[in-house]
Amino acid sequence: MDRDLALPHYGLAYRLFGVIVAVWITVVLVLGILGPISNLPILEHTARNLYFHVPMWFVLYAGAIAGAWHAGRYLATGRAVHDVRSEAAWTVSTAAGLIALVTGVIWSRFTWYQGTGLWWSPEPRQNMVAVQLLISGAYFVLRGQLDRPRQRARLSAVYALFATATMPFLTYVLPRRMQSLHPGAEGNPAFSQMDIAPQMRWVFYAAAVGFLALGWWLYTQRVRARVAELRVEDAEADAPAPAAVVS
Amino acid sequence: MLQPADTTVALFDTTAAQAVTVQRAEGIERPMLAEDKLPVVLAVVLVVWFGVLFLLFRTDRRLARLERRLDADEPR
Repeated sequence: MDRDLALPHYGLAYRLFGVIVAVWITVVLVLGILGPISNLPILEHTARNLYFHVPMWFVLYAGAIAGAWHAGRYLATGRAVHDVRSEAAWTVSTAAGLIALVTGVIWSRFTWYQGTGLWWSPEPRQNMVAVQLLISGAYFVLRGQLDRPRQRARLSAVYALFATATMPFLTYVLPRRMQSLHPGAEGNPAFSQMDIAPQMRWVFYAAAVGFLALGWWLYTQRVRARVAELRVEDAEADAPAPAAVVS
Repeated sequence: MLQPADTTVALFDTTAAQAVTVQRAEGIERPMLAEDKLPVVLAVVLVVWFGVLFLLFRTDRRLARLERRLDADEPR
């Protein structure tokens, strides 16, 4: 049990890290909203969405990889902490993915699809991410249906591994081969200009790092909360609450 | 570029109607209304962000307190 739920001590360094993340992202927000941007037709100021929409993708991938890693560790060692970490990572990943999807829809609706009334475009990467999010969302449905902790942990770990395996194909390989709004695919050089424009590049890198760090912070908070829950449950199981006084 | 807005607020609030067209920017309005009014966007975003930060730090503190109690009752 001790090793089962062992967590590192999240002390002063962790709190300091939180402060650094807070300051870092505040600076990113200021630079992102007030800083100079490339002068792009159609996009104009919405080019700034680059700093917020794309980092969500990075958090999606990082969370899924962490989730799969801990899923693998759980299957290898059977320690409950890996199941906790896998689920927390998966939650952060799926949430970021949903945010990436919604922000992408909003961004394209008022730029490339302005005047068409189209909210949901035939944009390949967007549709592939929607499919991937359905697959990721099924992870939580699976967990909800299984009552026995060890069975739940084992099956969801296996599922997480498969769900992460589909991710590179759905969200990266397939869309690259189709006509797409996203950079790197056939059809949109304007975006690559924005990506490499020097005045935007460094803010973008800082935003990516900042949001990854924020994702990690949220992930560790979920892990700590869940482990605390489990420890309370274990303590109550060992020493059941006294019966109500009858007089 | 940015389209001119429909200033329908002018219909029911004469003060606002005058402000948009007549008065020159003074004091805090001068920086806020420059740069396509992006500083206003930043102000809104920062308010949201500081709210989120407040919740994050509060959760941290409560978790730490909970962990300290658990460690005291049942040392790992």
